[in-house]
Amino acid sequence: MVLLRRLLTYGAVVVVSLMAAACASLPTESSWGDVSLIGSPAKILFSFSDRIVQLDPTDGKPVKLLDTDGKVRVDDSGNPRTWVLLSPTGTTVHYYARPIQTDDQTLIAGVYEDKLFQVDAAAARIDKTEGIVLPGHVLGNPLLPAAPNDQLLYVPLSDNGLVALKKTDFSQAWQFKGDGGKGVWSQPLLVDGTLYVSAMNHFLFALDAQTGTEKWKVELNGALASTPTYANGALYVGSFGHEVYKVGLDGTIAAQYATSDWVWGAPTVVDNMVYVTDLGGNVYALKDSGSSLDPVWTRKVASAAIRMSPFVNGDTIVVGSRDHNVYWISRTTGDAINDSGGKPITRAMNGEVLSNILLIPTTDANADPTIIVSTIDKSELLVAFSLSTGERRWVYSS
Amino acid sequence: MDFILNPFVTLLTFLYSVFNHDMVLAIIVFTVLVRLLTFPLTAQQQRSSAAMQQLQPELKKMQEKYKNDREKLAQEQMRLYREYGINPLGGCLPMVIQFPIFIALYQAIIISLATTPLQILNLSNRLLIPGLSSVIPLENIWLGMNLAVAPNLGSISLSNPLTIIPIVLIVLVVFTTWLQFKVTTPPQVPSDDGKPNQAAAMSQSMGTIMPLMYGFFALSFSIGLSLYFIASNTIGIIQYALMGKADFRRIFNINGAASKPPVVKPALTKVEGKASKPVVKRTNSGDKAAPKSDPVVKRTNSGDTTAPKADKAK
Repeated sequence: MVLLRRLLTYGAVVVVSLMAAACASLPTESSWGDVSLIGSPAKILFSFSDRIVQLDPTDGKPVKLLDTDGKVRVDDSGNPRTWVLLSPTGTTVHYYARPIQTDDQTLIAGVYEDKLFQVDAAAARIDKTEGIVLPGHVLGNPLLPAAPNDQLLYVPLSDNGLVALKKTDFSQAWQFKGDGGKGVWSQPLLVDGTLYVSAMNHFLFALDAQTGTEKWKVELNGALASTPTYANGALYVGSFGHEVYKVGLDGTIAAQYATSDWVWGAPTVVDNMVYVTDLGGNVYALKDSGSSLDPVWTRKVASAAIRMSPFVNGDTIVVGSRDHNVYWISRTTGDAINDSGGKPITRAMNGEVLSNILLIPTTDANADPTIIVSTIDKSELLVAFSLSTGERRWVYSS
Repeated sequence: MDFILNPFVTLLTFLYSVFNHDMVLAIIVFTVLVRLLTFPLTAQQQRSSAAMQQLQPELKKMQEKYKNDREKLAQEQMRLYREYGINPLGGCLPMVIQFPIFIALYQAIIISLATTPLQILNLSNRLLIPGLSSVIPLENIWLGMNLAVAPNLGSISLSNPLTIIPIVLIVLVVFTTWLQFKVTTPPQVPSDDGKPNQAAAMSQSMGTIMPLMYGFFALSFSIGLSLYFIASNTIGIIQYALMGKADFRRIFNINGAASKPPVVKPALTKVEGKASKPVVKRTNSGDKAAPKSDPVVKRTNSGDTTAPKADKAK
């Protein structure tokens, strides 16, 4: 008996040690959420981990489901039903990509578990739980071109290139695997019939959007994790190789700028200025002079990585970091913007801030806009702030 | 932990870039380097544990004699350790020091094999050489398998031999763990009174449980970790063999070597005063003899196993 007890103790110690060692410091989620607007009047559509929710942008409350008569639906207990989409019955799936609206009644939701689901938008329900099987994980946002003559839906796969599906029956039209695969983590960009694809295998590809045929590719010295930004007739993209590039639509590198760390978020281009963040916590303002990207200012803003694209509005830039803070800085100087008391507007969050910031548009020109910041902490999945003062307006937690 | 982990992640990524983006080769070389680095600690641990093994019969007698006087028992045990120049912590301390190193070692493998955005983000601030970012993400497909994920036994197909590799890896993990355990565990000394030796029984049980447990890990964790387990076990066996202590004939029962349990008596030498490690005697020729603490099992021409003569220590 004593022997058995000792054996069990030793075994338990070893198992716990190895399990702890194997799991420690490894993230439990694969990615972060996506926040966007949908419908009119606009609702917030937020997908993260095990759910997709629709929220009212004014108060952050889940949208109530209405029946055909416009009355609020209730569950078996008589409580109002809200717009929350969980995993289909009998499975567990993870939503990291933005669902896309194919018509008034249908959303298409991609999941990490290699599937697309058609969602009944009115009932927040998946009817065909078997889904549409894909040859890879969905992490980046799918792209559904708005033009009626575009008949394809483009789905980036984090481990297997990109597939184009026919809008009519979701059968595969073509798949692009690139050179050696490694996948596509970001939404492709469609410009004039050409699909521009940032790939993790260090290449930026230009494809014929209808056939998937490669037009050109250019190697950019590091993995490309974000969608290229199209502005001024060129593409701007950052790479893990500590560089941000300006690439012509013919695939030639027009200009590049060396950053201190990996560039993950897509550059934000306003007029001739290119704003870039890096994983060293830096923000850069670069002037696009045609054949060069010239630094106007560079600031070490955060103590940890800035993964997101810089949010630029008027003279304000807002960025969030892995250091759990959101920073307001001046677009002109890169210095911190102060509140009325003279203190920098910096807001502490409960978790790392990784997703891009969403602006809630307002029709009132004098209104103070609201921005939505997302964290990966379930106690503060979404937080609404005043753009001008940084005042908290509401919080959504799960 | 980061002060160990980050250099390890950097080293593994560096090896990956040096070995032409071959992750398997990088893991093997990485494991070899770390095992070589910790070899002095491993050797000390093995010496101490062998010496402790030798004292078991005497310790058992003491436990019987002083079973009602714990304080006296402790004093006598310490006296015995002093007499034979054994540090009772000599086996534990190196293991305690190595523990964080080995945890960091296989955490480094898991972290380097990052495949998801959050894993890559986690990896990004661990690379101490900026130029290594250009090889991220590491290529983790090997023989059609993703090294970053657990083996998928559901995909096994006899028509595709490559799908059997995960099974082969699991079997190798179990076998090498068993072999390393057998090689590094000295033959058990039976009790003088003929009663079942508790330590021997426990050791035998551990020799069964450990390989199965590692087999379970190989089944549950990433394939990259299985490669590490195999490489690490193999290096451990080679290290022990190079120290001249691996008795494969006994382990594999060649020529009936294991048919008779070795009758081993304590072969330790008493020392005067306090000593921290087992005494190693030198022969007249000046050659370094095996530590007396180790059981030396001689073989006769007939293949029988005999015990060495015990030192006549007072």
